[in-house]
Amino acid sequence: MTYEKPLPQPNADTKPFWDGCKQHQLRFQKCRDCQHIRWPPSIICPLCYSHDTEWIVASGRGKIYTFAVYHQAFHKAFENDLPYVTAVVELEEGPHLLTNIVGCNPEEIECDMPVEVIWEDINSEFTIPKFKILAEPKGRS
Amino acid sequence: MSLKNKYAIVGIGYTDQGRVPRRSALSFYVEACANAIKDAGLRREDIDGLISYRYFQPAPAEREVTPYSIAQHLGLAPKYLSQEANCARSHLAHALGALEAGLCHYVVVAYADNALSSNRFFDEINVDRAVFGQFGAFADYAMAARRAMHTFRTGPETWKEIAVGQRKWANLNPRAMFHDRPLTSEDYYNSNWFVEPFRVPDCCLISDGGRAYVVTSVERARDLRQQPVAIMGTGQHNPSSYIDQALYMAGPAGAKVAGETALKMAGITLSDIDACEIYDCFTYTVEITLQDYGFFEPGEGLDWFKDGMIEPGGKLPVNTSGGQLSEAYFMGLTPLTEAAMQLMGRCGDRQLGPKTNTKAPEIILCSDNGGILQTHCCTILSKI
Repeated sequence: MTYEKPLPQPNADTKPFWDGCKQHQLRFQKCRDCQHIRWPPSIICPLCYSHDTEWIVASGRGKIYTFAVYHQAFHKAFENDLPYVTAVVELEEGPHLLTNIVGCNPEEIECDMPVEVIWEDINSEFTIPKFKILAEPKGRS
Repeated sequence: MSLKNKYAIVGIGYTDQGRVPRRSALSFYVEACANAIKDAGLRREDIDGLISYRYFQPAPAEREVTPYSIAQHLGLAPKYLSQEANCARSHLAHALGALEAGLCHYVVVAYADNALSSNRFFDEINVDRAVFGQFGAFADYAMAARRAMHTFRTGPETWKEIAVGQRKWANLNPRAMFHDRPLTSEDYYNSNWFVEPFRVPDCCLISDGGRAYVVTSVERARDLRQQPVAIMGTGQHNPSSYIDQALYMAGPAGAKVAGETALKMAGITLSDIDACEIYDCFTYTVEITLQDYGFFEPGEGLDWFKDGMIEPGGKLPVNTSGGQLSEAYFMGLTPLTEAAMQLMGRCGDRQLGPKTNTKAPEIILCSDNGGILQTHCCTILSKI
């Protein structure tokens, strides 16, 4: 079946991120001077303006910072997914990532729920990072 | 030197609004500007400054409306011309700066669109957020509202008071798109989800039409047709993170610093404010804006809005035209022009004062907000 949803549009700044997804890795830039992990990608650190940057691989775990539930599709390729959930996931490493929460009833979702990345390989070129709710909250005693 | 009470709004331009088919965006701009110039009692030869908003893409077969094209169609040759893209809230500051620098003497500020009839989509497909099905400002604001629900006590029970309260004002305003359509609490809860947690009445209208105002010095204003309305204070703040990286979804957003700046310039406190005209792209925007200004503590909005606080007869009327939720959407000009009209005493059945069992206003606070809570302007207007 053809994939009809919009595809990622990598540019010079975001290509390393999407290349990482292809390897099932969430990659973010880390400032070698002040250690700040940044997203979206940029040529310099927004805090200390250093150019000295490395790409790190994030754990893929985080929590739901916020989310929205779509009850109507604004693009026909999303009609079959209704109701679907977009979310901002706060990763353990710090960055906030816009994504989808999948594999659960939207009514079960709450802010701050622990989540983990899952990978949707959509074609030979692109893999999309989505998230699922973790059954057991991490660090639960 | 302070700009307090040095400049004034002296004319307002309206057009037909609502669903007005077979009209270009440019036609609404031109008509709104011409009406504002005439309303002030000025001639086109007097106008030497022109600033226009533009953010959304033009409809098919229409060119981007620029201040150059507006000037051409109005027979103007301004000495100062400006256009902000990407929803910045700096038009009034530009106008005041140009006036204060002596670059020009009479500035027209305008916004118009044929957004409803051209029926175009309001977002881009070729961006990474579309990969996840995230479309439109409404979804981003819905996320902000959801985070607020998690952070403090808010949600549909609070937002319903805003939607219903503003609708009562719209029912008094013959220009309002929802003039003839009451909204009860029951109607609110029975309406469809738009993007949850927003229901349809939480979201602003999409409108055809235009709006413009003329600003000049208080000195020059005294010779003109209308009772001038002074700009008592104004302030901006731009916490410019994309919303998906923003930590101000549940406030404080730009309104806090912008509000403090405007109040300081005006030399007043919130207790001096007689009414508010708040940029209301969504009900939650009204709540977070008033909360950030300090009208109530986080989560106390529900109690504050109850018992008709913002409605006709209320202690602090808010969005007395119906606002963008119930009158029409003209960016920051819906609130600003309504504040000026109220202070001029030209609002008919919805006029603040004895007619609506409210305080006759001396000072009205307005807000303009853009992006996703990323850019904010607070302006305080007063009678002279």
